[in-house]
Amino acid sequence: MTSDTAAPVLSVEGYSLDYLTAKGPFHALKNISLSIGAGEIVGLVGESGSGKSSLAWSIMRYLPGNAHEVSGTIRFDGSDLMARSNSEIEAIRGKRISMVFQDPATSLNPTLSLGRQISEVLIRHQGLSKKQAWAEAEARLAHVGLKTPAQMMHRYPHEASGGEKQRVVIATAFACNPELIIFDEPTTALDVITSRQILELFQSLQQETGVASLYISHDLALVASTAHRVSVINRGEIVEQGKVGEIFTRPQDPYTKKLIAAVPDPSVRLAGSEPDYAAKPLAEVENVSVIYGRKPFFGRFSKKAGNHVTGNRAVNLAIQPGEILGIVGESGSGKSTLAKAMTGLNKFEGEIRFEGRPIHSIADMSDSYRRDVQIIFQHPDASLNPRKTIGDILSRPYRLYTEYSGKAMRDEISRLLEQVKLPASYAARYPHQLSGGEKQRVAIARAFASQPKLVICDEITSALDVSVQASVIELLMELREEFGTAYLFITHDLNLVRQIAHRIAVMYRGDLIEIAPTRDITAPQRAAYTRQLLEAVPVPVARSAP
Amino acid sequence: MSASYLTKRVALIFYTLLIVSLIVFAMTQILPADAAVMMLGENATEEALAALREQMGLNNPVWTQYLHWIAGVFQGDFGTSLRTGLSVGPVMVEALSRSLLLALFSICLMLFIAVPLGILAAVRRGKIVDMAVSLISYVGVSLPEFVTATLALLFLADRWKLLPPTGYVPLTENFWDGVAHLIMPAAVISIILVAHVSRMVRSEMVDVLHTDYIRAARLKGLSSRQVLWGHALRNALLPTITIVALDVGYLLGGVIVVEEIFAIPGIGRQLIIAIQARDLPSIQAGVLIMAATYCVVNFIADILYSLLDKRIQYD
Repeated sequence: MTSDTAAPVLSVEGYSLDYLTAKGPFHALKNISLSIGAGEIVGLVGESGSGKSSLAWSIMRYLPGNAHEVSGTIRFDGSDLMARSNSEIEAIRGKRISMVFQDPATSLNPTLSLGRQISEVLIRHQGLSKKQAWAEAEARLAHVGLKTPAQMMHRYPHEASGGEKQRVVIATAFACNPELIIFDEPTTALDVITSRQILELFQSLQQETGVASLYISHDLALVASTAHRVSVINRGEIVEQGKVGEIFTRPQDPYTKKLIAAVPDPSVRLAGSEPDYAAKPLAEVENVSVIYGRKPFFGRFSKKAGNHVTGNRAVNLAIQPGEILGIVGESGSGKSTLAKAMTGLNKFEGEIRFEGRPIHSIADMSDSYRRDVQIIFQHPDASLNPRKTIGDILSRPYRLYTEYSGKAMRDEISRLLEQVKLPASYAARYPHQLSGGEKQRVAIARAFASQPKLVICDEITSALDVSVQASVIELLMELREEFGTAYLFITHDLNLVRQIAHRIAVMYRGDLIEIAPTRDITAPQRAAYTRQLLEAVPVPVARSAP
Repeated sequence: MSASYLTKRVALIFYTLLIVSLIVFAMTQILPADAAVMMLGENATEEALAALREQMGLNNPVWTQYLHWIAGVFQGDFGTSLRTGLSVGPVMVEALSRSLLLALFSICLMLFIAVPLGILAAVRRGKIVDMAVSLISYVGVSLPEFVTATLALLFLADRWKLLPPTGYVPLTENFWDGVAHLIMPAAVISIILVAHVSRMVRSEMVDVLHTDYIRAARLKGLSSRQVLWGHALRNALLPTITIVALDVGYLLGGVIVVEEIFAIPGIGRQLIIAIQARDLPSIQAGVLIMAATYCVVNFIADILYSLLDKRIQYD
């Protein structure tokens, strides 16, 4: 669909952007050149901090006060965007260039109805009356596949699901038939199946309208299946750009190669030796249910039950010693609830057996159980105390579960840090002095300090960039080889879990749908929901190569 | 918001007031005041005092006295003033109505000044205007009422003769004269409130202006004015409702100095007189009525909040 002859809708040439900070200028974008023709989808791929969002703000002319545009031009439809006045830009935004944001939960105003938020664009840019705009907006909502557009117009953001909200945002972006739309990670905040549907919606609308699209994402597999051309951005520089097929099959730049290699590919197994399924299970979960919600204050006087939400409904599963059991499901499926129940962070009903010892409540969780079962959380920023040094943080499990103290303990901490591939000198540092991946290594070290038999990993890589994720996974596999630890690996990343898990448990709305060996997860006899999940996941890069 | 929630809230108000009534009653028991002595004077004979105590039920156990009193309260009878011999309830309710009128006036005046100031400071954050607004509000909050009130009296009433100096004229009697009498006290009170409400509006507004949905609204091409008034203001003002409702507590009881200076017979002033005179029924009635007003105002604020922010749902 690329039109080589016609002038591009957007062309960025030699564009450099600095942010002026107290420590001197930060070079956010360096000599960027990029163009998008009519009807074309250009993918912009990079990790966090690569400058991909800065480029979006530059095009939208929405730069913070400390931004300094060093050089270059941004031309839209042949004219210089950088020379436009504020009011001219306001007339272009939303009308000729619009944007779809990452998280529909935060990009919609919580106190205004959805209808108001889409129709105001039509009032502003198309000069429609309130009534006309409302009718037109309703038609637009119907067009993006919302089943009850009339009701949706009157709803507030909290009354709609994530997918519905993102459809409203997309309808708003397309409302004035713009010439260019910037999609800033539009599916990252959504569930697997929903994000698949949103992607399909994007593709059909794009084909129908022929709008030039800049599709920003960190997800290579997703961009590979969506875009015509791709630009790979690293530390403010476009390191490689070209046709999708070429870049993913014959990457030239070392960074692109590294990025592509880091994308989880289910055909490359990392799991290591299979556990002994005939052995006595390490941990068994039997009929475990978790019910959230408490009786309201006045409810105590009445017999009426409060508003209860079921987190888990009678879940049964068993983990063998040294096994990696993956748990997948959408948000709200009860994956984390199960993890919390097993670590005593949630009350539960039912029975957990660990090495045969029955546990019926949090009170039954002895010190030895707590030592043997450790958990690592998703966000190291939230799970590491910012006011303690790494050494202090790691000394806690030693004090709780071991005899070590003083010099011996400090030596152990150094050894542990080296084991997770961090320099021993990090013990004196504070969490904020570490990168995201390093912090997660500290969290892993903390879990392994007590030499546990089972480590529950709750979405531990989902806040990390793909290349960092790969190195964290590598570390986990090494630790398992060394200690024979079993993992309960909770994730929404199906490709990743298919790489590392021996068996996969699929959860849906608090229920355990099924548990299957990973090699059989694609078998046709799998549950309908499992198949639906797998179909929603973009095909990994290596397979899409011709 | 469900009917069951409303019932629960009303029940909770009664519960609160019951506890307040217990505390108030206990306090008046501890006060070194003998109601009989208060009524008959220091020189009364022991026989006359004993007879009166018997008649008033002061010899009964404390809890009987409490039940007797609270039963009266439920029927709208707060007892008889020891000082004036009049029924306490109507006197206090009338005083409350004057105080509420002054409070309402002050709140309107304050919002009229504080909200625009807060918005201005947020929009021009870090600029001269922002600093000027915080300077003004800090000066306002650090000047005691008696200073501002005296200054106001000195200039506005005495020197320039713009406004009547003191006193209270019911609005039903002479509307414009009544309003003229309220302006000065309301202005003095609102100077204090402006400081923290404008700070509150400012910080809420700054937070709101940094949200993703404000960015989204700007990137939809809305003008700065549409973004500010249409998208940001409502969200920034919501917490202000709670703050203003809490301020009502101050406006009812804490403005005694202002009521004194401007000679407004409000409930604060009535309460001071009652305390000085050891007029127990008046103290009890005054405190209970103030507590009830405070509860009701906060209840209204909560309901208002849920109407403006659809995410807040009570059940």
